[in-house]
Amino acid sequence: MRKRKSRGHEEVELNVTAMLDMAFQLLAFFVLTFKPSPVEGQLSLRMPVAQPITKVEAGQKAGSDQNNLNPAQGLNTLVITALANPDGEIKQLAVGDSSMGTPEALSRKLAEVLGDPTFGFDQVVIQVDSRLRYERLMEVIDVCTRQKLPSGEQLSKLSFVELPAQ
Amino acid sequence: MSASVHGGASAEPNLTPILDMVFQLITFFMLVVNFKAAAMDLDLKLPVVGSARPVDTQGETDLLILNINAEGKVRVYGQVVDDVSAYIATEAQASLLSAQVKNPGLKYGDEIPSTVVIRADRSIPFSLLNGVISTCQKHGFHRFALKAMNKTEE
Repeated sequence: MRKRKSRGHEEVELNVTAMLDMAFQLLAFFVLTFKPSPVEGQLSLRMPVAQPITKVEAGQKAGSDQNNLNPAQGLNTLVITALANPDGEIKQLAVGDSSMGTPEALSRKLAEVLGDPTFGFDQVVIQVDSRLRYERLMEVIDVCTRQKLPSGEQLSKLSFVELPAQ
Repeated sequence: MSASVHGGASAEPNLTPILDMVFQLITFFMLVVNFKAAAMDLDLKLPVVGSARPVDTQGETDLLILNINAEGKVRVYGQVVDDVSAYIATEAQASLLSAQVKNPGLKYGDEIPSTVVIRADRSIPFSLLNGVISTCQKHGFHRFALKAMNKTEE
């Protein structure tokens, strides 16, 4: 920067070199210490209360309909089970009757089950061991919410049932 | 770049633009620097989920934010809520009233069009979390947003 005084021929020169040096030092410091912080995100879910697997309508009662004229309607339910060990880590996962040990295997199984266009589910229920840590549960939920339904939608409607510690 | 001639030839680069630019960069990095202690609730460690999406409220402003710490205590605005059920019931009533402005047919027991945002510590067992979720469901909340970090903090 240079200022030129109109009176006389004196010149005042501001030496910006030192300031620039300092500015570069500061810049280097901030560039080197820059670390993007993790972003807080979310998994959006619809979580209705889990319905009984057999849906009993009004007027239906066990033994009251000998001729089975008004049968109880069954709810097609995909049951995912997450069992935990005493430390709250995942001990076993299951989809229906088939068991697996890791969320990756669960993902493969779910993709296989949900990829079948002939089978529709009324609800997806996750049975969770009461000891399972939230961190591990989120891994299971993450696997589930990554799945696509035959309709092409993302699976986002889940119900939870708490299993007592075994 | 300007050059002035004093007797002999001398070239003086004009450093003003570069200085301006450097100050801009410094300002940027100063603003994005991560003051962890100030920005984050240190005793609440959220789980890490790769697919956690950035918050998108889709224009919805009615959110019930519940922080659940490692002991399973619910905190709202930094205060521990002793009676969680009563608190959620009150919030459900308030959400219902505000939703009835848009939809007068809505009645108690219907699904409330509000989202419960759960920020829970990663170490809590499911039983404690499920207690809070069940209470919310009982009062008509069915939309949930489970908060998680998109990557591990170093």
